Amino acid sequence: MRFRRVALNTRTLTMAPYPDPSPEVAVDETPPAAAAAAAGTDAAGATRSTLESTGLWAGLAGIGATLAACGGGGEAAVATASVAGAAGTAQARALGSAQTQGLGDASAAAQSGSAGADSGSLTTANTVRTTAADRARFLLQAQFAATPAEVAAVAALGYEGWLTEQFNLPQSQGGYDWLVASGNTDPFRGEFFFPMPADYMIWRQLIASPDQVRMRMALALSEMFVVSTNVMDAFWPGSFMGAYWDVLTKNAFGNFRTLLEDLTLNPAMGRYLNMRGSVKEDPATGRLPDENYAREVMQLFTIGLNQLNLDGSVKLNSQGTPLDTYTQSDVSNLARVFTGYDYDNTGVTQTLTTFQPYPIPSPQYARSRMAFDASKHSNLSATFLGVTVPANTAGPVALRIALDTLFNHPNVGPFFAKQMIQRLVTSNPSPAYVARVATAFNNNGAGVRGDMKAFWKAVLLSPEARRLPRAGGGKVREPMIRAVQWARTFRATSVSGNWTIYDQSSSDYGLSQSPLRAASVFNFFRPGYVPPRTAMAAAGLVAPEFQIHNESSTVAYLNYLADWVGDAFGYGEIKPNYSELLPLAADAPALVRWLSLYLSASQLSAGTVDAIVNSLSGLVVVPSSSDNTKLQRIYAAVLLVMAGPEYIVQK
Amino acid sequence: MTFLVANNLPRRAFLKRLGAVSAMGAAAPLALNLAAVGDAAAFTSTDYKALVCVFLYGGNDHPNTLVPYDLANYDRYSAIRNGGVGRTAGGIAFGRNELTATALSPLVGQTLTDNLQYALAPNLGGLKSLWNSGKLAVQLNVGPLVVPLTLAQYNSDNRVLYPLPPRLFSHNDQQSVWQALGAEGASVGWAGRMGDLALAGNNGSAFTSISAGGNAVLMSGNDVLQYQVSPNGPSPVWSALYDRYSGALKSSTLRSLITRPSSNFLENEYAIVTKRALDLQQTVSNALNAVVLNTPFDVDGRPNSLADQLKIVARLIGARNTLGLKRQVFFVQLGGFDQHDNLMVDHGLRMQLLNEGLVQFQLAMGELGVANQVTTFTASDFGRTLSSNGNGSDHGWGGHHFVLGGAVQGGRFFGTAPKVSVTSDDQVGQGRLLPSTSVDQFAATLARWFGVSATEMPGIFPNVGNFATANLGFMQ
Repeated sequence: MRFRRVALNTRTLTMAPYPDPSPEVAVDETPPAAAAAAAGTDAAGATRSTLESTGLWAGLAGIGATLAACGGGGEAAVATASVAGAAGTAQARALGSAQTQGLGDASAAAQSGSAGADSGSLTTANTVRTTAADRARFLLQAQFAATPAEVAAVAALGYEGWLTEQFNLPQSQGGYDWLVASGNTDPFRGEFFFPMPADYMIWRQLIASPDQVRMRMALALSEMFVVSTNVMDAFWPGSFMGAYWDVLTKNAFGNFRTLLEDLTLNPAMGRYLNMRGSVKEDPATGRLPDENYAREVMQLFTIGLNQLNLDGSVKLNSQGTPLDTYTQSDVSNLARVFTGYDYDNTGVTQTLTTFQPYPIPSPQYARSRMAFDASKHSNLSATFLGVTVPANTAGPVALRIALDTLFNHPNVGPFFAKQMIQRLVTSNPSPAYVARVATAFNNNGAGVRGDMKAFWKAVLLSPEARRLPRAGGGKVREPMIRAVQWARTFRATSVSGNWTIYDQSSSDYGLSQSPLRAASVFNFFRPGYVPPRTAMAAAGLVAPEFQIHNESSTVAYLNYLADWVGDAFGYGEIKPNYSELLPLAADAPALVRWLSLYLSASQLSAGTVDAIVNSLSGLVVVPSSSDNTKLQRIYAAVLLVMAGPEYIVQK
Repeated sequence: MTFLVANNLPRRAFLKRLGAVSAMGAAAPLALNLAAVGDAAAFTSTDYKALVCVFLYGGNDHPNTLVPYDLANYDRYSAIRNGGVGRTAGGIAFGRNELTATALSPLVGQTLTDNLQYALAPNLGGLKSLWNSGKLAVQLNVGPLVVPLTLAQYNSDNRVLYPLPPRLFSHNDQQSVWQALGAEGASVGWAGRMGDLALAGNNGSAFTSISAGGNAVLMSGNDVLQYQVSPNGPSPVWSALYDRYSGALKSSTLRSLITRPSSNFLENEYAIVTKRALDLQQTVSNALNAVVLNTPFDVDGRPNSLADQLKIVARLIGARNTLGLKRQVFFVQLGGFDQHDNLMVDHGLRMQLLNEGLVQFQLAMGELGVANQVTTFTASDFGRTLSSNGNGSDHGWGGHHFVLGGAVQGGRFFGTAPKVSVTSDDQVGQGRLLPSTSVDQFAATLARWFGVSATEMPGIFPNVGNFATANLGFMQ
C-alpha cells in the first residue's frame, strides 16, 4: 500500500520515478518468493548504483560546460524510490551486510518526494542525480541513438514520462506501405523476385522512422521471433518481410497474445516455418502434418525447452535433471492445429508484363493473414502441454486454444523477459531482474497479462537496468545497431532517396550481421552462448553477441567503419551530416567528450579520451579552418570512438 | 621423460597429456601408464594429418542422400515418401530410374539389412566415383547416444539405466551434441580436445583448430581456440597500419585502442579477439601467398559457399609447413538443410553443392600431396523422418554420413542399415532412426586415426566405453 503511495508521490514530480514503482509494473502486495528475492537483490544493487553514479558524476563534472553548450547539459535529480512492496525482504537481505547503507525502506523511499527539489544532494542514498550521461545511457538502451535534444527531453520528462511519450507517438508508415509507395512493388520494374527491397525497407525503418523506440523494440523482437529475408524466394520478398516487420512494430506496444497470433498467421512466418501449406494427415499415404512451426513456436517463441521459475532459473527434478516443457508427442499433436492455412489470395490481381510470359501477382497475399481451409485441417484430437483440443474442433477455435495455452504457460514471462533484457540492457541479468520483468509480463498491475508497455517499462526502469553494471556487465552492441546508431546520431540519410542498402552480412567488409537476415530461426547468435576460454566462461556468464565476433568479423567491421564514417554507410548510400560537430572540431577534447557522451553515454575511460585527443592533434584544426579540414578530424574522432571496445561494449 | 625431452616436446603439453593419463587414477597399472607415455609421443611424429568436418546445418535428409535402390526396398521407400506410380518420382521420393547412375556397389562383399542396395542422391555423382576408387565410406545410422538403446529401452521410463541424449530433435541442441557431446551451452568440442592434444606437436600454434564456417563449438578445446577465417583469407586492419584522415587518425592510437586490456570482461575479451586477428594476419597471409593450388573449386559456375570454405581450408593445408603444423582440425559448413518444405528442390541443390565441394577438395588434396593425410567427414544436426509431411520431412535422430580421404576404407558401408519402415524397431516413429552407432564411436574412430591414444579416448568421449567398440573400422 505504501508502495503505491510512493509511486503517486514520484508521479507528482516532473522527473522520472527511479526506479519504477509505478502502478503499471506493480508487484503484488504479497509478492511471490521470487519477486521478493528480486526486490532484495535490486535494493542491494541500488546502493551500488548510488555510489557508482556519484563517481560517474564526479568524472563528468569537469565537462559539464561543454555538454551544456551542446544542448545536452544540465542535470536532473531523480528520486530513487527503492523497491517497492518487498522492502522488508529487501532490508533483510540487503542490509545484512555492513557496507550496505540506508535504503530500501518506506521512509527512505518517501524522501524521494522531496528529492526532486533537492537537486544538489548527492549523498542521500535515495537520490540519484541523473547526469546527461545517465540519460544518454537510458536512451541508448531504449532506442538506437541519443541526441542532445533527446537527452534534454529525458531530463524534462523523466525516464518513465519520456517512455510513455514514446509509447504514445503515432506509428509511422509501415514497411509494407512504404514499399508500395516507393514503387518497389511496381511489376514493370521486373524486381518481383528481388530480396533487396526488404533491406531497403528495414534500414529505412530503423534509421528514419520517427517512432524510434518502437523500431528498437521491434528489432529486438525480430531476433526472437525470427524470419529471415535470406530464404524468401517467392514473388515479392520485400513485401513479405515488410508485412512481417509491420506485425512486430504494430504489436510492439500492444499485447503479446495478439503479437503471437499475428505472427502465427503472418505469410512470411508461414513461409519461413512451413505452417503455410501444412495439411492434415493422410492415413492412405502415411503423410503427416508439418511439425516445424509447432516445434519452434514452443522452443523459440514462447516457452523454451525447460520448465522455468519466475526468475528464469531452470526447474529440476529430484535427480537434478532439468524438467522438459514438452515432448515429441506434444509437437506432433500441436502440428495438427496448425494445418489448413495458406496464403489468402483475396484481392490479388495479376499483371502481365511485357518481359515475362507469366503474370505477376500483386503483393497483398504477402500481407493478408493466412486463410484457413477446413478441408485441409486435421480433425483429430490434439493433446499438448496438458490440454486437449477435442476431435472435430473447428480450426479457428483450435488455434485459439493452442495460442491461449502457449500464452498462458508460466514459462513465457521469464523466457521472453530474459531475452529482451539481453537485447536491450545486459547479457547477464540477475534472476531478480528477470523475475521483476516476468512479473510485469504476468500482470501489468491492472490484471492484464502480456501488456508490452508494462513489460518494456520493467525492462528499462528496473534498478538493474538503471545502474551501471560491474565488470562483466552490459553487452556487446550488435554491429547492426552500431550502424543505425551512427546514422541516427549524425542524421544520415539516403543519397538516392530510395534507401538502396543491401545485405550487410559480409564478414570480409561488412557487419557480419544485417537486420532481418539471420542465418536461421535461431537468430544471429544464441541467448545462452558462452565464448570458450574467456573470463565470461570462467565466471559462468553468457555473451551472445560474441558468437559473431571473431578474427574475421572484427577486422571487417573496423575496415568498413573506417571508410563509412568519412563517406557513407551501406556502400555509398547513407550519408551523414556532421554539421552539428563542426563548431567543436577545433576543440579536440570537447569534440571527443561530445562523441563519448552521445555515442557511449560517456563510457569511454579518461585514458581513451586522452588517447583520442592526442591522435586528433595530429591534424591542426583551428576555428577558422575549412570545413573539410574540420571534417577530417571529425571522421577520425568518430572512427576512434566507434572502433574501441569501450564503445562497443554497452554498459 | 628423457624420450620426450629428446623430442623437444614442450614441457607443458607433455605434462598435460600425462595429466590426462594420470586422471585414470593411481590404480592404473604401471604398464598402462608407460604405454600411455608411448602413446603420448604419437603426435610428435613427423607426418601431417588433418580432419575436416563438413557440417550440414538444419538436419540432412538422409533418406534422400542415401536412397534405397533395390526393388523391394525402393518400393517401401517410394510408398512411405509418396512416390509416383510405376516407380516414378512423386511426393518426396526420387523416381527409381533417377538413381541408376548413382547406385552403389560395395567394393567388398557386403550384405545389408533386408538385402538393401543403396544409391546416392542423383546429384552426388562425383561421390560415387570416390566410392568406386575406395576413398569414400558411408557410416550408416549414426547419431547421439549415451548408451546403446533398443526401442523398448528408448520407450522405457528408466532413464537411469537408459539415459537419452539431451533435447532430442532440437536443432541447436543436437548440433551441440554432435559437436560437443552436450546440449547447447557446452563449450568444449571433441575436435577442439583433439587439438589440445596436438598443440604440443604444433609448437602451440594458433592454427591448430581453424573454422572457415563460423563459430562452431566442435572446434574449441580446453586450450585450443578456434581461429576463424573467411573464405578470402584474413585482411589487415588498414587503419591500424596507416595514418589517415590527414593525420588526425594515428594508426598507432587505433591499434592500441582496439587491442589493449580492460578490467571489463567483455571489453577485454573483445579486444583479445581483435588482437589475435591483428597478430596472426600477416603470418597467415604470407603463408597463403606462397601456396600454389590450381584445382578449381568452382566447376559449374554456381555460387557455392561450401566450396569457397573448402578452398581456404585447402590453401591453409597447403601452408602447413610454413606454419609449422603437424595436426590440424578444420570446420566448414553448409546451411539450409531444414527442409520441411520444398525438399526435392532444396535438397537436390545442396547435394550438388556438397558434391562439388567434396570432389574438388579431394582433388586439391591430391594436388597438395596429402590425399592420404586429410580425412573429411560429414555431420549434421540429425537425420529426418522417413515419412512425408507433404513436400518435406521433419526432425529425426540418426542419419547416414560420409567419410572421405585416402586413409579411408572406402567403397564400403559401416554400421547397420536401418529397415525402410516407419514401424520397425530401429526407429522411434515416422522413421526417425534410433541410432545403431553413436557419435562417440564415429568420432573416436576418426580420433584414433588422428593419433589419439586409447587411454586418452575416454577423456574426450566419456561415453565411448558404453559401446562395443571405439573403432568402427572405416579408417585404415
